[in-house]
Parts: sequence; structure tokens; C-alpha cells
Amino acid sequence: MDVSAILAAHEAKKQAVTVEKEIPLELDTGLLAVTDLNPIDCESYNENLEDYLTSTARDGVQALIAALFSLPTSSSADGPLAQLPPPATQLPRAKPLPKPKPLTKWEKFARAKGIQKKRKDKKVWDEEKQEWVNKWGWKGANKDKEVQWLTEVPANADVDFNPSQAARAERKEKMAKNERKHLQNLARAQAAQGTPNESGKVPQSQRKQLIDYTLATTRVSTASMGKFDRTLEGEKKLKGVKRKFDAAEVSAEKEKSSNLTILSKLDREPAAKKSKNSSGDSVLNVRKAVRAVSGGRGSATLARKAGGKGNKGKR
Amino acid sequence: MRPLTEDESKIVFTKLANYIGKNLVHLIDRADEPYCFRLHKDRVFYVSESSMRLAISVARPNLVSLGTCFGKFTKSGKFKLHVTALDYLAQYAKYKIWIKPNGEMPFLYGNHVLKAHLGRITEDTPEHQGVVVFSMNDVPLGFGVTARSTVDTRKLDPTAIIVFHQSDVGEYLRDEETLF
Repeated sequence: MDVSAILAAHEAKKQAVTVEKEIPLELDTGLLAVTDLNPIDCESYNENLEDYLTSTARDGVQALIAALFSLPTSSSADGPLAQLPPPATQLPRAKPLPKPKPLTKWEKFARAKGIQKKRKDKKVWDEEKQEWVNKWGWKGANKDKEVQWLTEVPANADVDFNPSQAARAERKEKMAKNERKHLQNLARAQAAQGTPNESGKVPQSQRKQLIDYTLATTRVSTASMGKFDRTLEGEKKLKGVKRKFDAAEVSAEKEKSSNLTILSKLDREPAAKKSKNSSGDSVLNVRKAVRAVSGGRGSATLARKAGGKGNKGKR
Repeated sequence: MRPLTEDESKIVFTKLANYIGKNLVHLIDRADEPYCFRLHKDRVFYVSESSMRLAISVARPNLVSLGTCFGKFTKSGKFKLHVTALDYLAQYAKYKIWIKPNGEMPFLYGNHVLKAHLGRITEDTPEHQGVVVFSMNDVPLGFGVTARSTVDTRKLDPTAIIVFHQSDVGEYLRDEETLF
């Protein structure tokens, strides 16, 4: 029996495992992504869109899966697992780049002098203990003087001189100074940005303005609003706010439109602000209508009459 | 001379609207020639754009008057209509009152309008409404504010005041120095 024809037919149904493209597909197995850079074939695209898209997608997936099978694998309870390489595609970052931090005073100085930063080891070798200890911090070497059992006392020391306390005070003073310098650095950075920092301190550039403003306020805060106050020597005259008016030669069209907007604003004002009888502006003169309908007896009579009729109807 | 600020325009327009209501639009949006409001030495002038442009070249101390003087701003910022605005008010007035010939002279001497002198009045004039006063042969004499609504005037006695005097053409003689 010759099965070659059947086999050939079966083989023809299967599509090629290898994908051939004019421009090779770009694979990023780390992100499980395939990019097809080939230009769209206009003819088949217009002819049958769905088929075209399916075939393009199929090619891409085929290439990706082929690449996945070539990856190194590790076996697990669920079967072999492929080890994905790290993603190769460069994605843009979501957030903007961080702004450079303002330099501290020391950093500025070091840059000017060309001093390079030297990384120092945090640990030092302790000969006595025969081990590495921290320079500072937990069991730090800088606390040795405070805990040693015998201390040399200077000849001119007071009677109540406590060497361990003095050493501790010196250490704490260093810490306090460092903190002080840190805060000053922060304040300097804030001032460079021109905003008052969290301690309420205003940068010098604004402070002068604020003082001038306060001074101007106090000068007109007397009973005579500053008119009859004794002036100090060298005190300048206060400058008020200058009024600003439109130019006299604005175009008539512009003026007309602005006037009409003012007029429309006036119309929109609440009824309470207007004169009591503003009904005259509407098309229907309510008062006149009521008089005509009620025969000059007023709206109350009209309402009573209407109510009475309604009651009669109910009964 | 300068255009009115927005606040000033508002004050002037509310005052004018008291007399001519919605017809105020016809003053601002004129078909014949663009007109505008200008303030000069506390006085508000209603002037055509062409003559306003001519007046720009006149120095402030030398400029006495231009266009039609509508009124003036008092020192406290209120706006007072002058009799010179009567032409426009009479033309567009919403509520009018006509007085009998025997009441013309008392009104022109600055007195209020009494009920005895009342000839005709626009129907349904509300209380405290700005009205223009006419003589019986339709000559505008001045303007004022109603003391009572039209309905209420019926019950009043003849000596009761029905329109408070605000301005009359007699001022052209009486206040000649200060009017313009």
C-alpha cells in the first residue's frame, strides 16, 4: 500500500515550523514579546483583513515558541520550566529622572578643591579583642573611653572630674554639631529654591520684602492713618497703589461688547437686589392680568373662588 | 477723559435702567453711529465715537464738555442724573406721567408733582419707579420718582405728592453755572 500520497497531503496541512521573513522578527523572550518590522502587504491586507492578521500573529507566536524551546530548562513537579533571560527591550521610565540633589557645604568645598571622596571601612581591627569592631554605633570603638576601667586624668582636672562622662559629652557634642550642620545644609538648599522651610524661616531675599511690607502697614495703622505722625529722618514717602484705567481710545466695538456684558450681568442679579416691582420687564404684566381676570378684586379673591369651585366639584 | 470702569458702568446703568429699563440697550448698541460713555471730571458724558476721538486731543484742563452730559458722580460714589440727559430718557422712557398746564410751572420751579396736577399716567406704574414728566402736549419737562403706584394714587387726596421731583428743565436757568 502506498501511503506516500496521504502523508504528503497531511504534511501539506502543517505549516512550516521555521518562520521566514524578509526582515527577521525581533524577539524578546524575557518579555515574551515579538516585534514584526515587516511592512504590511497591502494586497492581502485589503483582501481579507482577518486572515492576514491571523497569519501574521501565527508567524510571530511560532517564532516565539521556537525560541522558548531553545532556552535552558529546569525540571519541576509540573514538568520542565524554561529559564527566561532578562528583558532586552528598553522601556521608557514612567517617572521623570530625579533632580540632582543640592550640594552640601562640604561637597561644594571638596569639588572646588578637587578632593576625591574616599570610602573608609566601617570596621577597625581591635588588637585586644582580636576581632573586627564597628568604628561607631553598636559596640562602637568610639565608646571605648567611656567604658574602660582605668582612665588617665589630666593634672589640672577638677576634683569631681568624671572622665567617662566627659568622653561621652564630647561624643554627644560631635553628634549635635553634625546634626546642626545637616540642618543648615537643608536650609541652604531650601533658600536656593526660594521657599520658606518647615521651621518657618524665610530666605533672605523675601525677608527684606516682608519687612518693607510690615513697615508700610504699621505706618498707616495709627489713628490718623499715618497723616499726622512724626516722620523719622530719611523716611521715604509711602507709595500707594496706582489706579489703572482703560485707554480713552479703545475701539467702540470692544467697548460696546463689554458694556453689553455688564448689562446682562445686571439683569441676572437676584430679584431681592432689584427694585420690588421688576415684573414690568417681563412680557406678561401679572398685576394687570390678575386685575382683568378677578374684575379688580385682587388675587386673593381669585384664589378663594378657584378653591371654592374645586371643593364643590369634590362633593 | 477716560472710559468708565466696570463698577462705574454698573452704577450708571442701574440708574438709567430705573428710567428706561431694557431700552438701555438702544443707547449702547446704536444703529446709526457708535456711541460711548466717557468720564471727565466726575461727569459722565454720552458721546459719539467720532467726537470722542476729536476730544482726545484736547488737554484735560481745557476740555469743558463733550457730547451729552448724563450726570455726575458724587464724592461718595453715587451717580446723579442731570436734566441734560432728559432728551434720551424721554425718548426711551418706560413709564411716563403727563401734568396739566396749571402744574407745569410749580414743577419747573423744582416742586414735587401733586395729584391735583396729574393729567395722565402710564398704567401700572409701580412705586418708587423712575418716570419722565411730560406736559399735556408731550413736551418733556423733567423726571422724578413715583411716590405711589398707579393703583394707590386713586385713593389719595389732591394735595398728596405722587412724583418726587428729581430734575426739571428749569435747571437750565437755575443751575446754569454748575450744570455742565
